[in-house]
Amino acid sequence: MIWRVIDYSENDAFMNMAIDESVSESVAAGGPPTIRFYGWNPCAVSIGYFQSLVKEVDAAKCAEHGVDLVRRRTGGGAVYHDTYGEITYSVIGKEGLFPKDILASYRQICSFVVDSLSILGIVSEFKPINDIVVGGRKISGNAQTRRGGVLLQHGTILYSVDVDKMFTLLRVSDEKIRDKMIASAKERVTSISRERNVARDHAYGAIFEGFTRGKAFSLGGLSENERARALSLAKSRYTSDSWNRMR
Amino acid sequence: MMAEEKIAGGKLVCVEVEAVRGRIIRVKITGDFFIHPEDAISGLENALRGASINTSESEAESILAANLGNATLVGMSCHDLARLFRRAVG
Repeated sequence: MIWRVIDYSENDAFMNMAIDESVSESVAAGGPPTIRFYGWNPCAVSIGYFQSLVKEVDAAKCAEHGVDLVRRRTGGGAVYHDTYGEITYSVIGKEGLFPKDILASYRQICSFVVDSLSILGIVSEFKPINDIVVGGRKISGNAQTRRGGVLLQHGTILYSVDVDKMFTLLRVSDEKIRDKMIASAKERVTSISRERNVARDHAYGAIFEGFTRGKAFSLGGLSENERARALSLAKSRYTSDSWNRMR
Repeated sequence: MMAEEKIAGGKLVCVEVEAVRGRIIRVKITGDFFIHPEDAISGLENALRGASINTSESEAESILAANLGNATLVGMSCHDLARLFRRAVG
């Protein structure tokens, strides 16, 4: 089996989610399992499939800051995706490539992140259900969906983190304790640059190596059909209020 | 009517319930949990429609479990949902 690896590129939030879905469709139709690295430009907030947009995100603040807002196909929580501060991955393959047990499959794919961080000299561990932590601090969040016989897992790897900006955009359950929550989040979250003084390009090189080590792969891009389908999905679904505000 | 809880394991789950004349007319479940496949959420939300607001926690759990089908909940359980349902209806 030969993986297709799509090198890092930046897209807006709608196209990023549309590409993940488009590639999932092509994998379902017999296309190669794919690892993709990407960034979010402009910065974005994504919310989990089951979350209420109104409850989780200050949409007006996002608009004010030029931050995209999109609902994912995957569950999990709201995430602020900073263009510079985050490297995102997706792993997409037929379900048979991965353990049937959901947690076991999270553990397997998250091991690629753990290996990547290890190359940088950062000791991390998988923390069920879907996190990777360094000394108890979260450095990576991951989310998975299985549809049409295809498993898609995407996840964030923090290079640097701006907790203050994150809390400007996300709603907190109790405004009275916003400051406490920010202070607490700063303690509970870490990033590659906080753990090691490495350039972002160097960090990405380690991530690429960690994900591809021991795998047969070829570098590739989206096919014309995948790109056209992604453009269509971005327009029809991921930019639409009926999708983003459905819950 | 609404009940929200950070479930053991860290996932935040919110159950909102609307009732008319003692009967449930709408249930909405939101949060940062996972369900595979995701579409199964509508089965869970519809499961309790028409039920009495006096439905017990154990009855609610049985109804939800029966409507889960082959779906898998990750980060919460039907037991958690039934408990939140019960708290929401008071």
